Amino acid sequence: MKSIVSKSYLLIPFFLGLGACSNYLDVNVTPNNPTSVTPAVLLPGAQAGMAFANANELNRFTSVLTQQLAGAANSPATYDVYQTNGADFGNQWSGEIYNGALINYQKLIQLADANNAKAYSGIAKILKAYTFSIATDVWGDVPYSQALQGEAFTAPRLDKQEDIYKGNATLSIQSLFDLVREGIKDLDATSSVMPGADDIIFKGDLNKWKQAGNTILLKFAMTISRKEPALATTVINEVLTGNNYIKTNAGDMNFTFGASVGSQDPRYTYVYVSTFLNDLIMSTRYLNLLTSLNDPRLPIFFTKPGANYVTIDNGFRGTLPTPTANWSRYNKYVVGNAGEGPVRFITNFQRAFALAEAALRLGTPGDPQVLYTEGITASMTLAGLTPAQITAYLTANPTVATLTGTNEQKIAQIITQKYVAFTGNGLELWNNYRRTGYPAVQLSQNAGGIDGTLPVRAVYINDELQRNPNFPNPAPQSNVRVWWDID
Amino acid sequence: MRKILLGSWLLSLLFCLPVLAQDVAVSGRVTSSDDGSTLPGVSVQVKGTTRGAITDANGNYQINVEPNARLVFSFIGYAGQEVAVGNKKAVNVVLVPGSQSLDEIVVTAQGIERDKRSLGYATQEIGGDKLSQRSTPDVLSALQGKTAGLSITGSSGAPGASTNINIRGITSFNGSNQPLIVVDGIIFSNDVNATQNTLFGTQPSNRLADINPETIESINILKGPAAAVLYGSRASAGAIVITTKSGRNNNNKTEVTVNSSYNVQNVYGIPTFQNTYGQGANNLFTPTSNNSWGPAFSDVTSVTNFQGNTVPYKAYPNNVRDFYRQGTLIQNSVNIASGDANRNYVIALGNTLQNGIIQNSKFNRTNVQIGGESKLQNGLKVSGTGTYVQTVSKGIPGGNGASAFGQITRIPRSYDLANEPYQDLNGKSIYFTPSTNNPQWAANNEFLDSQIDRFFGNFQLSYDVAPWLNVAYRVTGDTYSDRRKLTLPIGSGRSPLGQVQQDNFFRNELNGDLLITARKDNIFMKGLNANLLLGNNINQRKNQEAYVDAASLTIPGFYNVSNGTVFTGSGENTTLRRLVGYYGQLSLNYNNYLFLELSGRADQSSTLPAANSTYFYPSASVSFVPTDAFKINSDVLSYVKVRASAARVGRDADPYLLNSVYVQSTYGNNLASINFPLSIGGASIPGFGISNRIGNNNLTPEFVTSYEAGINVGFLKNRLSIDATYFDSRSTNQIFNVAISNSSGYNTRTTNVGELRNRGVEVVLNATPVRVGGFKWDMTLNYTLIRNNVVSIAPGVKSATITGNSFIGIAPSISEGSPYGVVISTANSRVQSTDATAQYYDATGQFAGQYVVNGITGAFAPGVPNSVISNPQANYTAGLNNTFSYKGFSLNVLVDTRQGGQLFSFSAADVRSNGSMYVTGIDRDQPRILPGVILNSDGTFRPNNIQLPAQTYWGALGGLASEGAVFDATVYRLREVALNYTLPKSVLGKTPFGSISVGVSGRNLLFYAPYFPADPEINTQGAGNIQGLDLNGPPNTRNFGGNVRLTF
Repeated sequence: MKSIVSKSYLLIPFFLGLGACSNYLDVNVTPNNPTSVTPAVLLPGAQAGMAFANANELNRFTSVLTQQLAGAANSPATYDVYQTNGADFGNQWSGEIYNGALINYQKLIQLADANNAKAYSGIAKILKAYTFSIATDVWGDVPYSQALQGEAFTAPRLDKQEDIYKGNATLSIQSLFDLVREGIKDLDATSSVMPGADDIIFKGDLNKWKQAGNTILLKFAMTISRKEPALATTVINEVLTGNNYIKTNAGDMNFTFGASVGSQDPRYTYVYVSTFLNDLIMSTRYLNLLTSLNDPRLPIFFTKPGANYVTIDNGFRGTLPTPTANWSRYNKYVVGNAGEGPVRFITNFQRAFALAEAALRLGTPGDPQVLYTEGITASMTLAGLTPAQITAYLTANPTVATLTGTNEQKIAQIITQKYVAFTGNGLELWNNYRRTGYPAVQLSQNAGGIDGTLPVRAVYINDELQRNPNFPNPAPQSNVRVWWDID
Repeated sequence: MRKILLGSWLLSLLFCLPVLAQDVAVSGRVTSSDDGSTLPGVSVQVKGTTRGAITDANGNYQINVEPNARLVFSFIGYAGQEVAVGNKKAVNVVLVPGSQSLDEIVVTAQGIERDKRSLGYATQEIGGDKLSQRSTPDVLSALQGKTAGLSITGSSGAPGASTNINIRGITSFNGSNQPLIVVDGIIFSNDVNATQNTLFGTQPSNRLADINPETIESINILKGPAAAVLYGSRASAGAIVITTKSGRNNNNKTEVTVNSSYNVQNVYGIPTFQNTYGQGANNLFTPTSNNSWGPAFSDVTSVTNFQGNTVPYKAYPNNVRDFYRQGTLIQNSVNIASGDANRNYVIALGNTLQNGIIQNSKFNRTNVQIGGESKLQNGLKVSGTGTYVQTVSKGIPGGNGASAFGQITRIPRSYDLANEPYQDLNGKSIYFTPSTNNPQWAANNEFLDSQIDRFFGNFQLSYDVAPWLNVAYRVTGDTYSDRRKLTLPIGSGRSPLGQVQQDNFFRNELNGDLLITARKDNIFMKGLNANLLLGNNINQRKNQEAYVDAASLTIPGFYNVSNGTVFTGSGENTTLRRLVGYYGQLSLNYNNYLFLELSGRADQSSTLPAANSTYFYPSASVSFVPTDAFKINSDVLSYVKVRASAARVGRDADPYLLNSVYVQSTYGNNLASINFPLSIGGASIPGFGISNRIGNNNLTPEFVTSYEAGINVGFLKNRLSIDATYFDSRSTNQIFNVAISNSSGYNTRTTNVGELRNRGVEVVLNATPVRVGGFKWDMTLNYTLIRNNVVSIAPGVKSATITGNSFIGIAPSISEGSPYGVVISTANSRVQSTDATAQYYDATGQFAGQYVVNGITGAFAPGVPNSVISNPQANYTAGLNNTFSYKGFSLNVLVDTRQGGQLFSFSAADVRSNGSMYVTGIDRDQPRILPGVILNSDGTFRPNNIQLPAQTYWGALGGLASEGAVFDATVYRLREVALNYTLPKSVLGKTPFGSISVGVSGRNLLFYAPYFPADPEINTQGAGNIQGLDLNGPPNTRNFGGNVRLTF
């Protein structure tokens, strides 16, 4: 008996652990990451994602397709001969758009609504709409109404592009127009906190946000104007009546990057810093266009390190010009002095050109010629030309300055000037090209891909086909038009 | 009442003391009946107890026994003997060779020594003599080919490059599949810490590299969960139990052992190149081309190079090989051991200095170990050991593109890499392609320096409360810091503006184990002996990484973080996890031929939600020896043991998986990137975003359930023995970050899903085919066949990417129905005859499986994305180790093979498509036809007949992200040869030496890979779950050298 009892003492340390465990084991809260944040740190992260989406790989793809740039090597060279498939743009779809900008706008809206920080809600809704427009313009039908809800929908359905732009009450899809309108409305409500320096785009100037929101409505209206002219007309009239849209270059909705490594515009990093800096060069075709227009913005848009502009033709497959140091690359208008950019999302010149086109196409108020001239002037001013220089150019080049011919010919002139003004924003160039066919493109040398035609959409990324059964499989190839692209 | 009881308990302890003191010391010498030579390493066991000793180098042993004890002597290759001690003080024994004993004593989980016959599961022991002086500083490499059930893959011949090890396949989707390493009871970190992205960083070491192979007494491999269950969760991938040398068997003499070796390493296994055509494309010379599709050397004698100089146009046959230097490996160690089973100490010093084949690379390891044990008069046994290791290493980055290894595969045959200048006066790279760096420049400018300071040790108190009851407490600790500095000068490929990073790792693990063992013989009935173990484990693991990343350097050549202007890559990562475990094991032994063992362990882990944090898992095993049970005394069938076990092991989560968190925002990749805080207009703007993983507060532990059955058979007095095992394990409830649609706003969600199955056969065959006079040939064959299968992942998820770094479009993945780790990428289009709706359908089946070729271009048709194109898992592996001994000579020859399994090789795809591989030079002027068929307009097929020029043909076979980069990794290898000569004792008579042996050894001496143009044992991403990728890394080496061992 004695030994049995004595033995039990030996078990004391064995059981000691049991009681003491709960505190000892309570160490699973991460010291590495915050589990809650404020709106002020969510907003800049999301804005940067949107800017990155616009200026990174998608810009290289679209700027090469629209022949402002030519691909000298690697992926830009394959885009240049129209090869693209589901292996492309995975990082753009996920890292930059859905898991970058969009989810954080979504989180920001939730957080701001919960804290009555309506100013943040408003900005986030406007920018969420803008970012979704990038997704649908590039890929067509995309997850929208069920997207960004985490575990609630781990495989969200795809909404038709038509429903995304127009809304669909039956399917509970809010239109992008309504999302922007809701955002603008939020900006009028009282807000518990106000954005400041954390708002990289407008530094918390809510009036500029309202103007930008209304101008985004114009942009969306123009995007669908050929498919849905009546709706486009209604929206444009609504904005004109409201009369609070971007009217000066100071109102441009730009995202400015920084001048140091890790803060720079990807367009700068790619062509001036990265290992891949010799993948992209100015297109000979764009050089020829600007030269034929006598456009004074050429040296502002592209560099000329040597005696002449050094460019290659699109799809060119011969020996590349040397030295690469003399290649013509994006100049400061596009990428800033040292990578500041900016990315121009919505601009004054864009508004003027859009209204000029709408006046011709839809008969909305405004004098097309006046608006056209206003657009060119705004762009040239933005490029740093003086009023005198601009006047001199317009006077010396009446074929550029004056809209002539049929409405279609005039629209071609407008879109061509919009094309020049938007140098560096490939998405806008590609959208305008697909919608209007201007400026007309001659297929690149060695054009290949699906059928040798210029891609009119990006192919759904392979990852989504693998993860989400709602995606059509096989995915539509790059030669299948999106809904608003009628011809 | 309580006080009195306590007092009486103490009293009983006092009474115990005299009983213990009555033990008598017995010593003696064991010799062989063959030639009277002494036998070291003989196991001496006190019958009916766990007490034992091993004879020392001179065949001497000493052991404390109770009066009337019986000693059991056993040694491989000799018949066992049982001797009654009586009241003798000296027991000398002569062992007769012939009947080999299969009943060695092995060290099992928690350091418990067990008679091998009692085990119901497979273990395999490798003696230190099989690992020492094998021309490698790495224990794991020295184990290659010597075990069954293990898969060991080196990553390259770079110094300190990590070695991957998996036991019985892959059992976890996402967790670590490396086995638990235990050194002298110390849970020993074998982590790999990466400073750079593993796709293009310097290959880091796994921390088992801190062990000096010379100090190892033995390694026991606990293969399945049944064997390792007492170690708990962490041993669900098996355990490797290492015992280092001690002074326990020195018979109270002090012995000093000095080991020295010198080896050279030469690059081995790079592809064979053609030397007929030089730089250029389409048969024309191009000075900036990476290709060797230029004109034949016979047609052109000189060309104008990229600098405008006229240079001879000729082949430089060794331009790749000469990039590497001859490496050296110098190993020295001194081991001082003294004592007996009761009091002993060991002091070991060792240094390994390796200058690698890559310029500037090195690995310098110094080990200092002090250990000892002492049994006090009062019966308390105190033991402890402590080891300090310093490992200093230097390496250069690898990887596709902007590294020396990314460029070395793209050197034209006519470029004189070794003699062309590689940098200008300003230190800038000079190279024929303007946007990449000269490999020589990279090797001489881009470095990762690392210094590890590590201390590990244990301290144990053990007390025999009664002859049948022992209580022990053991504390072990393992801690290291790894201070690293990454230097990438301005102009560096991966960091064009320069980068200096200070990266400091700290890891600490503490364990406390209480072990209570009780044994009782003849319990309930005569011949039934019972052993009971109860244990408690308290564990804490802490990891910390703090790094300062200084990018965009200002002053060239000044490599201090103060020279940086951008610090956004800096940060900190800390994890802390704790675990409390309770375990027990009951072992029953009936007449030493029937054994039953029941084990159980309950763990409480900090990493799981409180509601699910405690989990229990059991195991049971039986073992039966019919030859003893039925008293079969046959010279032909000498020994049969059958065994079976079933076990389940739970595994907890990694820390911090329960919650969703926010992370500092970052966008982009190696093409262009931004990292918050952004520096805009002089202001620093912070930015966070939601992490792309959804946390889960309902996680439960994952489980591995394993069944195992085996048989050991000995024939001809055990001169031939077979140990065969079949196992089947299922891993369920996997804690996995399941990929979800990115449009959900997230990339993954953490949850319990899926099932992974491993089945396999392990066979170990030991034989002594020849024993004539003094000549003996022993051989061991190890055979491993494992079938790994991802049974299911998650509802609606057919495949998912394995966590880790990967290139876009080449994703190491799990895919339902495929083995773990397959590469999912774009496969060539093939004709099929099963799916009538398929694009390429051949109802006749005649062309089924053939590639589809474009009828106009003659190139392959567009591929099929999301296809499994490469499977890294071997079909089977086998190793045959032969030992020939004659008098003082012993020759070890190890050959092994790996059959099947695929390697995804950038390097091979590179040298093939750029026309430098040997085959591309054969009949280059002849047109070629890609294998495959062409779709006719009527839906039928015709064989491809479109001729392509050689350059187009070899290019069309496939580049980096294609099926063309996949190769069968089958290889046969002469892994190891070691010849040793021990001088006869008679020669040493009057010298101070106890023994002298000299030897030569070689490693990786020859290989034959029928389907791959280079050595397929390459693994750029090192130890971890991603295997079978060769993404431009350092090549392998062939090592050989000499060694000497002296004892005083």
